[in-house]
This record gives sequence, structure tokens and C-alpha cells, in this order.
Amino acid sequence: MMRTLYFSATLVFWLAVASFRIVLISFPGAEKTAAIAADKIISPAELARHALPSDCWMAIRGNVYDLTSYLPNHPSPPNIVLPWCGKDATEAYNTKTKGRPHSPYADELLAKYRIGTLGKNVR
Amino acid sequence: MHLLRLLSIPALTAVFVAVPVLWALPEGLTFWRTLAIVLGWGGCGLLLASLLLILRETALAHSLGGLERMYRWHHFVGVGAYLLLLAHPLALAADAWQESPHLAWQLLSPVSQGWPVWLGWISLLFLMSGLAVTFSAKVPYRTWRWLHGVLSIGVLFGMLHLVLLGISEAVIAAVLLAVLLLAWRVIRVDLGTAARPFVVQSVDRIADAVVEIALRPLSAPVASAAGQFVLVAFFDGAAFRGCREYHPFTVSSIQPDGQISIGVKSLGDCTQMIQSVEVGVAARVQGPFGVFLAERPPGPELWVAGGIGITPFIALLRESSPRWPTTLLYLYRRETDAAFLNELRTLAAAAPLLSLKAIATGGDVPDLPSMLPDSTTLAGWHCYLCGPPALITGVRQVLVERGVKTDHIHFERFDFR
Repeated sequence: MMRTLYFSATLVFWLAVASFRIVLISFPGAEKTAAIAADKIISPAELARHALPSDCWMAIRGNVYDLTSYLPNHPSPPNIVLPWCGKDATEAYNTKTKGRPHSPYADELLAKYRIGTLGKNVR
Repeated sequence: MHLLRLLSIPALTAVFVAVPVLWALPEGLTFWRTLAIVLGWGGCGLLLASLLLILRETALAHSLGGLERMYRWHHFVGVGAYLLLLAHPLALAADAWQESPHLAWQLLSPVSQGWPVWLGWISLLFLMSGLAVTFSAKVPYRTWRWLHGVLSIGVLFGMLHLVLLGISEAVIAAVLLAVLLLAWRVIRVDLGTAARPFVVQSVDRIADAVVEIALRPLSAPVASAAGQFVLVAFFDGAAFRGCREYHPFTVSSIQPDGQISIGVKSLGDCTQMIQSVEVGVAARVQGPFGVFLAERPPGPELWVAGGIGITPFIALLRESSPRWPTTLLYLYRRETDAAFLNELRTLAAAAPLLSLKAIATGGDVPDLPSMLPDSTTLAGWHCYLCGPPALITGVRQVLVERGVKTDHIHFERFDFR
């Protein structure tokens, strides 16, 4: 019985993984749905006013993101992420896990929270 | 079996799952992300529980209901962990699907990720291939044993996956526990430091392809009882080359000075080599293990032995005659195959409450319904079965049909794969 369970579960797993890929190939329109935010210029001062867990903006690579709704989803504990609310977190974003940047998955996820561009007088 | 021992493994498993899941249980996340986290940590807890169940410590095995039971649960718990860990990335992808199908694929595809996720994939692939070998009946035991160890590499990669995700410093506790349990298993069991030194005292051929080997302790003896088994590895002698692997053998006699005897039937390469073992060969003994004949309630008993399965019963009879009416049904192919047969006949003649039914079955499937006592006779009896799995299954079926309660039927399967 355990043998059957193992082989069935493994087969279902690979079918499920393949399904995610097949859907993406079959419906090219689904490939990129990231929201395109208005190109609003946000000053460092305005960024700094959103430094709370309940209202958390961060600047990463020149863009500003409202990450308030995403914070509970972040895998790291709050004390790792929350100190970057209201600040330019590019360095932290690029040096996660022994100096390695976040993954392309994270980049794409981040795009959904973009609310504007950071003013040039910062960094 | 005592209720506490019966519940010990399920309770331990529940604790191993509940602690990490409750610690990591998030609030306010989507259904799929919450499920993914619960699956990941639940799988991690089950992996740790499965590692605890491969330790071969006499006291631990006794409190958990025997080594055979621990290994059976090790299989259930290990497969359970695999199922949860397979579902973990799928649930994460399902969560990302809410955002976009592209994001879901980005999350699943190893190509677009970094080391934390690559290690998760590597771990899963090691578990997948290790289990494929585990369920392969064709791989010889010696090869199988090594390939089964691949699963432990999968566990270590899974722990590294947790560390690199940077979830919390508390993750280190889970990693340390996994490393500790694996190291314990390797050092105490695989490297044999838990075993005690013995030397072969005598070797008697007691049937075709069966020898009885007496082992004298060179340090502290093992405190075994009738019905228990020990794991023994034989080393080299003057002309004998031992296979140095630990195999389970039931104890056939226990002397007051700590000397034990085991019955060894030629069933594979290693046990074939042991048939020619010499006096003076060094051996190492782990154990004792098993609760087959432990805590027997008073009352009449039926003992059913198939082939070398007679060994626990001869150990019991050598200690003392039965104090309750006892029927021993001993099945073997031919008289020349029947270990201990002459001694059993002598012991039965001197034991007024013992009825011995020794039957040569030839090459035929035994007609069990005609050999076993009827339902009236069996009422209230406890039945102890030891022999090949097919015989145990067949006897158990007839006994249940004749109204014997399942908790009155006792047996252990010596399948360590």
C-alpha cells in the first residue's frame, strides 16, 4: 500500500508541476500581468513618513513600493524586514542570504506593489 | 501490549509535528500560503520523528513497543513526511497563482530561483530517489541498505533549505536535532559502538542449513529474555571470513553466565557464510530487542512456529515447562529441515501441559484449518505466531475466523527493509 501511495503521489506531483508550465505556454496572455504603477515621484521625506508595519513603504533600486499588505507573507521574521520601512532597502534586498540578491520571483512579486519612483536626492 | 507503549509512537509523532507547526503558524495570510507553511513544517516534524525511529537503543525500543514496531512506524512517518513535502511547493505555487500564472511558475521553476529554493528541490529529489529505491524489491539487501541512506542526505539538504531561507534563528534547533539524530544512528548503530564484544563458544548443526551458535560475552552480557532477538555481526577467524553486517537472530537459549545462543538459517549471502563459522570467531552483539513473548497474561496458549520460527519457543521451553495448557504447532518441510525437533520431543514428553504437534508439510501449502484447534477450544486463548510472513497471515486469518480477538494474536515480522 505504501509503495502504491509513493508512486501515485510522485506521479501526481510531476503532473501538477507540468500543469503549471502547460497553462503558461497555452495562455501566453497570462505571462505578464504585473501591474504598471503610475510614474509618481516620491521624495525621501514622504518615504520616511511610511515607516510603520501598518503603513510600510520601501525604496528598492530607485522604485518605491507599498509593502504594507505583503509584510505578513514575507518568510523572514518581522525584525529583519520592518526596520527597512520608510527607507531605501536596496542594499538589504540585494544582499539577502550571504550576499545574494532576491530571486527573479521576488522581483516579479515586488513589481505588483510599485507605487512610484524615488526622488533623486537620496543615496 | 501496554496501552502507554501502544500510544507512545503516535504521541511522539504528534508532538514532533505540532511543535514546529504551531511555532510557525502564521496569521492573516491567504489560505494557500498558510497551508504551504503548515505542510512544510509538518513534513519537517515528520522527518525528525522518522529519524528518532531508526535509533536502535534497547531502552528506547522497549518503551516504544519494540524495534519491529519502530521500523514499521518509521516507514509510515517517512512516507507521510514525503507526501507533505511534495505538496509544500505546490501549495506555494497555488498561492502565487492568485497573483498570476507566471508568478506561480517563477516560484516552482528551479531555473529562476536561488540557493534557498534550489536546496529545497535537491532535498525533494533525494527523498524521491531514496524512496524509489526503498520500495524496490529487486535490490539486494546490502545495496538497498546503502541506497536507503540517500534519504538522510535529502533530510540534510532540506535542513539547509530552512537555514538559507533565513526564517529565524530558531530553525537551528530543528537542524541540530536532525544532525544529532543522524549522527547518533551512524555512530551507535552503523559504526557498531552500541554493540558488545562476544566470541563464538560453540557451533552445532541442528538441521539442514541451520546452525545454533553459542556466544560468550567478553565484557558485559546482554540482558535478553526468551522471545527476544539480537543483532549480531561476525568477524574473521582462522579460516572464516565474516560479512561484518548486523543481522537479527532470535535468541534460542540464555545462560546465567551471560552466554546466549542463536539459531541461524541460511537465507541469504551473509547467513550462508555464517553456516561455516568457527569457534573463537569474534562477534559483536546489539540488543536485546523485541517484545514478542513479553507480558504474557496467564491462561492457555497456542504457539505456531514455521521453520526457524521455532527458536523463541525453544528458548522459552529450555527455561521452564508451560504452567498453562499449551499447544505447539510446529510446521516444517521435511524432518531434516526441522531445527530442535528431537529436543522438542524430549521436552514435550517431560512437560505435562504441553501438546506438541510437529508436522512435515513437504512442498505443499499447509492445510491450516485442519491443523489449528477449533473455535470452542480456542475461546480465551492467547496465540503466539512466529514464521514466514505468508504463514503468519494464513494462521491469523483462520484464528480470526474462529473468533480469536486480534489483541489475543501476537507476532512480530522481522522485515527490516
